[in-house]
Amino acid sequence: MFFLELIAQSLVQGSIYALIALGLTLVYGLLRILHVAHASLFTLGAYVGVLTYNATGSLALTLLAAMLVSGLSGVAMFRLAYKPLLKQPPHVALIASIGLFIAAEECFRIAFGASGLSFTNTPLQGQVRIGSLQFKEAEIAVMLGAALILGVLAWLQSHTRVGIACQATVSDPQMAESFGITLNTVRDLNFLVGSALAGFAGVWVAVLNNLVEPTMGSVPSYKALAIIVLGGMGSVPGTLMAALVLGLVESFGTVYLGKVLDRNAIAFAFLIVVLMVRPQGLFAKK
Amino acid sequence: MSRPTLLKVENVTVRFGGLTAVSQVSFDVHQGELLGLIGPNGAGKTTMLRAITGVVHATEGEVYLSGAPLVGLPIERRIRQGLSLSQQLVKPLRNLSLLENVALAAGGQKTVSPLRALGHVSNANELAIGMQMLEKVGIADRAHQMPGTQPLGILKRLELARALALKPQLFLLDEPLAGLNSGEARALANTIADIHQGGMTVVLIEHNLSEVMRLCQRLIVLDNGKKIGDGVPREVMQDPVVRAAYLGGDTLATSQSEELTKEPQHA
Amino acid sequence: MDYEISLLTTIGISIMFALSLNLITGFCGQISLGHAAFLGVGAYTSAMLTKAGLPFLLTIPASMALAGILGIIVGMASLRVRADFLAITTMGVVFLFIGLVRQQEWLGGEMGLSGFPDSGLGKTGFMLLTLLLAALTAAISLYIQKAWIGRVFSGIAEDEDTMRVLGIDVPSYKLAAFAIGTALAGAAGALYASHLKFIGPDSFSFVESITVLSMVVVGGIGSVVWVAIAAAVLSALPGWFQFIGDYKLLVYGGLLFVMMRFSPHGLAGMVKALSSKKGGAQ
Repeated sequence: MFFLELIAQSLVQGSIYALIALGLTLVYGLLRILHVAHASLFTLGAYVGVLTYNATGSLALTLLAAMLVSGLSGVAMFRLAYKPLLKQPPHVALIASIGLFIAAEECFRIAFGASGLSFTNTPLQGQVRIGSLQFKEAEIAVMLGAALILGVLAWLQSHTRVGIACQATVSDPQMAESFGITLNTVRDLNFLVGSALAGFAGVWVAVLNNLVEPTMGSVPSYKALAIIVLGGMGSVPGTLMAALVLGLVESFGTVYLGKVLDRNAIAFAFLIVVLMVRPQGLFAKK
Repeated sequence: MSRPTLLKVENVTVRFGGLTAVSQVSFDVHQGELLGLIGPNGAGKTTMLRAITGVVHATEGEVYLSGAPLVGLPIERRIRQGLSLSQQLVKPLRNLSLLENVALAAGGQKTVSPLRALGHVSNANELAIGMQMLEKVGIADRAHQMPGTQPLGILKRLELARALALKPQLFLLDEPLAGLNSGEARALANTIADIHQGGMTVVLIEHNLSEVMRLCQRLIVLDNGKKIGDGVPREVMQDPVVRAAYLGGDTLATSQSEELTKEPQHA
Repeated sequence: MDYEISLLTTIGISIMFALSLNLITGFCGQISLGHAAFLGVGAYTSAMLTKAGLPFLLTIPASMALAGILGIIVGMASLRVRADFLAITTMGVVFLFIGLVRQQEWLGGEMGLSGFPDSGLGKTGFMLLTLLLAALTAAISLYIQKAWIGRVFSGIAEDEDTMRVLGIDVPSYKLAAFAIGTALAGAAGALYASHLKFIGPDSFSFVESITVLSMVVVGGIGSVVWVAIAAAVLSALPGWFQFIGDYKLLVYGGLLFVMMRFSPHGLAGMVKALSSKKGGAQ
């Protein structure tokens, strides 16, 4: 059934968006900075992924490498770029982030060429049948992977000292300190985790498209921003819901409105309409 | 002698979600009065003031300024009707001198709409008015200094000058004396009294009860969102209901109020 | 001479475009990441009208009007949302614009528009018109800065809430900023179309919005003179240094970052800091 196919497509797309948007929402919730450059870590993960897989053939190693490189790069971004700007008005960090993002995309283009890289032997391309639907193995993997990781993170957040401290830093910094975790550690962790997730997502998108090119982060960057706005800026569950909703809106929207608006326009039209009706976002807590 | 009613607060209720901050409060403010709005912490005084100015939306009730209804109007419209608000947290524009800050407020006529503001360039008039206002509050000597270097007492006076420059009918002050030591507080209170003597109708929220008792002609007491007292300061502070409210929480205010109602007051 | 004339025309258009954003973002503090959409509206309006037979000069007011009206609509959207959301909402406007235009065949679709009639002024004449309009935009900006509207804009940029307590109708001022800024961008768009003689949806992407924002930021938000200088330099750079052409975006991106990191008030801020240091040392 076409309807089911659309839902399936939305879930895959939504999972990817969720993985990317999560990092963004963690940073915003903590620092109130719109970390536009976050998507470049997604692209970085994709490049690292292709290069590692082409060299080693091991998917596990590839994912690990991508997450590690992206994660650490994210922390570096925080230390070098954002930390010094925390005292400035918010638009300064936003513009700096945009500059960083553009520079990063250009660096990828200059280093690896504009036409991009591909896998020599793309993993997980086999087909899987579930009911009347057909999925690529990779699509199942990314949905399961997203659900698993997000589930683990949610558990960590409420059951470990570190996790609770992270939550506390946003609302009650002093309490976080009393857990023995400093503010800086929490910030580093946020960037580490969020960026690693983006890198993870990058690998899967590379596998799904069998292509990594320098501008692949642009659209996810904007969409992720739209998602965190929809989800209520800084709310993790809100962001996840919004990611799925956006996936659905895009899939169904392209079918019905494709003649008038392209996919991205539909996503943003949806965002604008939602903001007009509910300026605080779809899932914001009042 | 009954003076005309300038501000009429009628059955105002303010609810935030499940919390009722202000409940069915009504009172009048007469022309030329100096009215104090007091009560223990959390009584709803600031919320009441915010409901009058429009910062907060009144869930029920009406507010009238010289007969004109205010509820439903945005803040700036209420200000243009004749209110002015002096806020607890003073936020002057940092890139303008004290004088320029007041002059901006004085430009009301020219800033009514962007179109009109487009057509006017000169601010000579407003600078002159600004100077007058600064003189009224006693800080004219600092006219060309920047707000960033000023102590709290001076900033509070700047806030008064700015509010005065709007030429309001009703002057609302939210804890003007907060953060000042007793000498500064007394001096500022005297300035407020002078402004009142000049014919201005003033409503102030204040915790500093000794100054409140000295200045105010009438007191409205709020507790837990409800009005529990309305009258001449001496009588209000001797009312057992009011004293119980203060004893219930605000110990400093309680001891202050006990002190004050023991000694004879000069009218 | 041909090359210099073309370069000067490009510079003129860039100055106009940058100053128009400076009004919205610099004077009034409303971060707009969607300004390219208004350049686009102006360009498409002018191109379509000249195709329909209207003389070029008459298309300029039409472009301004259409861009200005759309600007007010976007401005109204900005009133509803908080500052952080505004940046993202305005970004959405660009995508909406491109996404719409791309799907419309009568607007040239993916391939864009070309072959629309010339301005009829000849290369030099057109350049002079462009420089004249750029100078006019600068004059308007300087006037606004000095007038009461500029004072109010500045107050709104710093502290909206306090301005409301002073009786200022903040929403209508924000709309005014958008209207004036976007109308001027529309005029720049008309010139842009006539200069390039070809426009497509990709000419007005998010990257264009960033480029013009970088001119405003590097110049120093709010400073008319320095924004104009930054616009001139940044638009001419790829031309002067041919090799930069390929690295243009890297330069813009890097510049934005470096500026924000080390001198958030742009060139204007640097000059101010230097001159006050000199004064202090004496």
